[in-house]
Amino acid sequence: MSLAFALRMAWRETRGAVRHFAVLFGCVALGVAALVSVGTFAANLDRTLMREARTLTGGDVELRSAQPLDAAAFAAVDELARKGATVTTVREMVAMARAPGGATLLVELKAVEPAYPLYGRVDTAPPAQLDTLLAARTESSGALVEARLLERLGIAVGDSLEIGGARYTIAGVLVREPDRSPGLITLGPRMLVAADSLERTGLLQIGSRVRYRTLVRLPAPVTAHAAAAELAGGIGDPAVRIAAFDESQPGLRRFFSQLATYLGLVGLASLLVGGVGIASTVATFLRRQLATIAILKCLGAPSRVLLVTYLIQTLTLALLGSLTGAALGLAAQPLLVRALAPFAPFALEVRWDTGTLARGLALGLLAALLCALWPLLAVRAVPPSLILRRDVDTGAWRARRPWAAALPIVLGLAALAVWQAGSLRLGGIFAGAALAALAILFALSRAVVKLSRRAPRARGLAWRQGLAGLARPGGHTVRVVVALGLGVMLLVAIALLEANLGRQLAYEQKRDAPAFFFIDVQPDQREPFSRLVGDVGGGGVPAMTPIVRARLAAIDGTPITRELIDRRKRETPDKIWYFTREYMLTWSATPPPANAVTRGRWWTAEEAAARPRVSVEDEAARYFGVRVGGTLTFDVQGVPIEAEVMNLRKVDWQSLTTNFFMVLSPGALDGAPTIYLATARVPPERESKLQDSVVAAFPNVTAIPLRGVLERVSEVLGQISFAVRFMALFSIAAGLVVMGGALAATRYQRLYESVILKTLGATRWAIARAFAVEYACLGAAAGLGGTALAAILAWIVQRFVLDTPWTLEPETLILGVTLTTLVSLAVGLLATVRLLGRRPLSVLRQE
Amino acid sequence: MIRIRDVVMRLPSGGRPLTILDGVTLDIPAGEVCAITGPSGSGKSTLLGLIAGLDRPSAGSISVAGVEVTELDEDALARFRRDTLGYVFQSYHLIPTLTAAENVAVPLEIVGAPDALARARALLADVGLGNRAHHYPVQLSGGEQQRVALARAVALDPGLLLADEPTGNLDSATGVQIIDLLLALNRRRGSTLVLVTHDDTLAGHADRIVRLHDGRILNGAS
Repeated sequence: MSLAFALRMAWRETRGAVRHFAVLFGCVALGVAALVSVGTFAANLDRTLMREARTLTGGDVELRSAQPLDAAAFAAVDELARKGATVTTVREMVAMARAPGGATLLVELKAVEPAYPLYGRVDTAPPAQLDTLLAARTESSGALVEARLLERLGIAVGDSLEIGGARYTIAGVLVREPDRSPGLITLGPRMLVAADSLERTGLLQIGSRVRYRTLVRLPAPVTAHAAAAELAGGIGDPAVRIAAFDESQPGLRRFFSQLATYLGLVGLASLLVGGVGIASTVATFLRRQLATIAILKCLGAPSRVLLVTYLIQTLTLALLGSLTGAALGLAAQPLLVRALAPFAPFALEVRWDTGTLARGLALGLLAALLCALWPLLAVRAVPPSLILRRDVDTGAWRARRPWAAALPIVLGLAALAVWQAGSLRLGGIFAGAALAALAILFALSRAVVKLSRRAPRARGLAWRQGLAGLARPGGHTVRVVVALGLGVMLLVAIALLEANLGRQLAYEQKRDAPAFFFIDVQPDQREPFSRLVGDVGGGGVPAMTPIVRARLAAIDGTPITRELIDRRKRETPDKIWYFTREYMLTWSATPPPANAVTRGRWWTAEEAAARPRVSVEDEAARYFGVRVGGTLTFDVQGVPIEAEVMNLRKVDWQSLTTNFFMVLSPGALDGAPTIYLATARVPPERESKLQDSVVAAFPNVTAIPLRGVLERVSEVLGQISFAVRFMALFSIAAGLVVMGGALAATRYQRLYESVILKTLGATRWAIARAFAVEYACLGAAAGLGGTALAAILAWIVQRFVLDTPWTLEPETLILGVTLTTLVSLAVGLLATVRLLGRRPLSVLRQE
Repeated sequence: MIRIRDVVMRLPSGGRPLTILDGVTLDIPAGEVCAITGPSGSGKSTLLGLIAGLDRPSAGSISVAGVEVTELDEDALARFRRDTLGYVFQSYHLIPTLTAAENVAVPLEIVGAPDALARARALLADVGLGNRAHHYPVQLSGGEQQRVALARAVALDPGLLLADEPTGNLDSATGVQIIDLLLALNRRRGSTLVLVTHDDTLAGHADRIVRLHDGRILNGAS
């Protein structure tokens, strides 16, 4: 009986209130759309990354090192080749390309052997065989370049380029490179050349920064992991990173995984805003139905049957909303793909993922259930005697619900956050932040209502009516301020972060930043280089810092072995590069600028003379587990140098000067192959000429223009921001839907008030001004609350997540408040203007 | 049928308790038509509501058809109302989103009757609204709405009918029609009818009149 009756009543109650439930439907749909769009994107990306992993890696197994493989490593690789594996080597480095006219450009040079690529294919224009395009010509070798190199240098296919001492003829445009790790930040366009041409450039010297990649394609029965393990067993040098195809590109995977997680949280925020709408829709509907509920109880319907009735109603609508949201989310895929495609080294497909759809539907349903449960519980408390009162003043009746019932609801919502975030910590932080934001906005809205009641009697109808409208029964002030405030908080927080990060990256802001970093200046080039920079650059002498490349060989006497690295990789995969990277060491008698000694002290001349000392960056030291008094041993071209840790330093990495993880004492690196890193401050109008002059005079020197690098970082951030803002728009849309619902719920009251005022002689313009005051106040309250919370959120992210300095950005905050006020005003007036034309009598007769 | 003993009802009003009923004792035998009259504010509707278990007295006991109403919990009271009585309100209290037939069918559906809508239509025909079964309350006049309410009240053939000012919102001619219909329905079923009214003419149709004043019965109790 009960279920059949509940189903029947659920249908009857809904068919009479379809417009009312449009808000609930819309809120669920928007929230689920946000989650499905980002979830589908992430799932598609993951699937594509897995499918393309071999192509991205360049082989089944990749060996990566900063030095050529030694004999032992070669032997291990040869062993695989004897079993039928195909092996090829790729060398990558940055270099300066010089056009015939003298213009220079930083490029990412890649030298490949005939077997390349082992997987995938290189797309070129004109299409042709790779070895044909890269083949040697009479006085040059062939090269393929990215189109933007041609644009930047003003040259075309067929023209020539010089790299160091070698000349290249541009044989075609490199359209697509299968194993290009987009790296997100690329220092320059790609230039592809044949391996045997690289020696002619003269750039392969001791100390040159070259990345060596040995790629292996395995015969059928050999698995990648088995081969990687075999190689790891044969190659003891931990500096050679060995990875199977599904283990490599961790940076790329991690980037996308984190991006998807954060976008997903932004999407969850939309569902949260929608949840406010769901709760308020259900609450308003039940308030309207109090008489019906009382009548049904009089007729003998038990409370639990009525509760089930309204639950069925809510869940059915939530299901329909979720299905619509899922469809919307899929429809939004192309936009997201377009925003994030530049980061992906391959075409991203647009298709649906069943798992994501199911999760989106489940999240929508569960969120709707949990948000509706609190108002629904009031059904049990409705007394049938309510209808005995002659004037059923349902506005005065307040449900008493046990507060203990709220706890499982809140925990349930927190569990949804953890599920979506995929991590207890992140989900917990989101849930805590959401709860705090909700509580603050709720308190603010209640304060607005109280203040409007207690405000001194304003002069003028518009202000009096407008302020009184804020306290109108029906509680629309609370729901509008909370829902709109949440959406504003998200959008303004993103804008603040963008503005702050943009300020960090704006080259023009960096008055003390150098224009160039010049790397690979040889010792015998110091004097002429300094003179050239001084002459061409306008008089300023470049700062020259000596660099010795080395690897970390031991910590406190314990050698760094492959086993140690594998163990630490399992514990902290994100930071394993501390062990495996090549370090640039320098020496100094005094602490470097922009560095603060946090433990220990700097060495004296006598202490430096006694034995090698080292100063270590404090986070690196924490990772190594080394303290003041401990030792670090470096491998400098095969020569071990043990240094005592004399102090730990905090480095300001934002300072854009040359900063080092390790600084040694003077004399510690005597005799080691040294190159110089130079920084130069140059007026903008001389930058181009200086770069060209340096490359012409010193072809081995690479010039990294800081302005260009910062601009590229800005571009990348801009693209990420687009995706994040796109997601945040779902929240704003949900907030506006909630506002629309609130307007609809109070429509009759507003109509009644305007009609009474008309009867008493107020013009339509006067009444419109009163409503304008009301909606402007609502918008201002939501804007103020939202922007204040946004400032706090942005501060938290910058202080604890990004570790960047925070500035107030008052323009963004003021804009946030102003726009919210204006939007609220516009929406409110639009909804109200139509009511102003109604004739009073028809409305009054209904009363 | 109905035993009321020393019932007191106090309600908060402006921070001080207001005594609505002050020690009411009353017996109503089965099959009787009993009218409860009195001026506005005398506690008539409150007493009727207490008999139906719509509220709980501050003191005293009420027993209906052998069931101690004052000792039942909410769900038990709902079952009691469903099984024992039909209620007619002054303001009809039809559910606005249901048609006339659906309104009448609700009590039948609550008990899971298989042909609820068909029986509802038959009941509507009994009260002269057979051709308005698919209309919503807003499309019916006051008198028509009250007829629907009557049909709903008798849908489950209850042993007890309670009517609170059934003609209070109607003009006199319509009121007479409604009263005639109510009495006819009651006679046909042989049920007990307790009728609250301030209309002496209407009260004259009853077997007994109980007068309330300031929460007390003026004339004899049982």
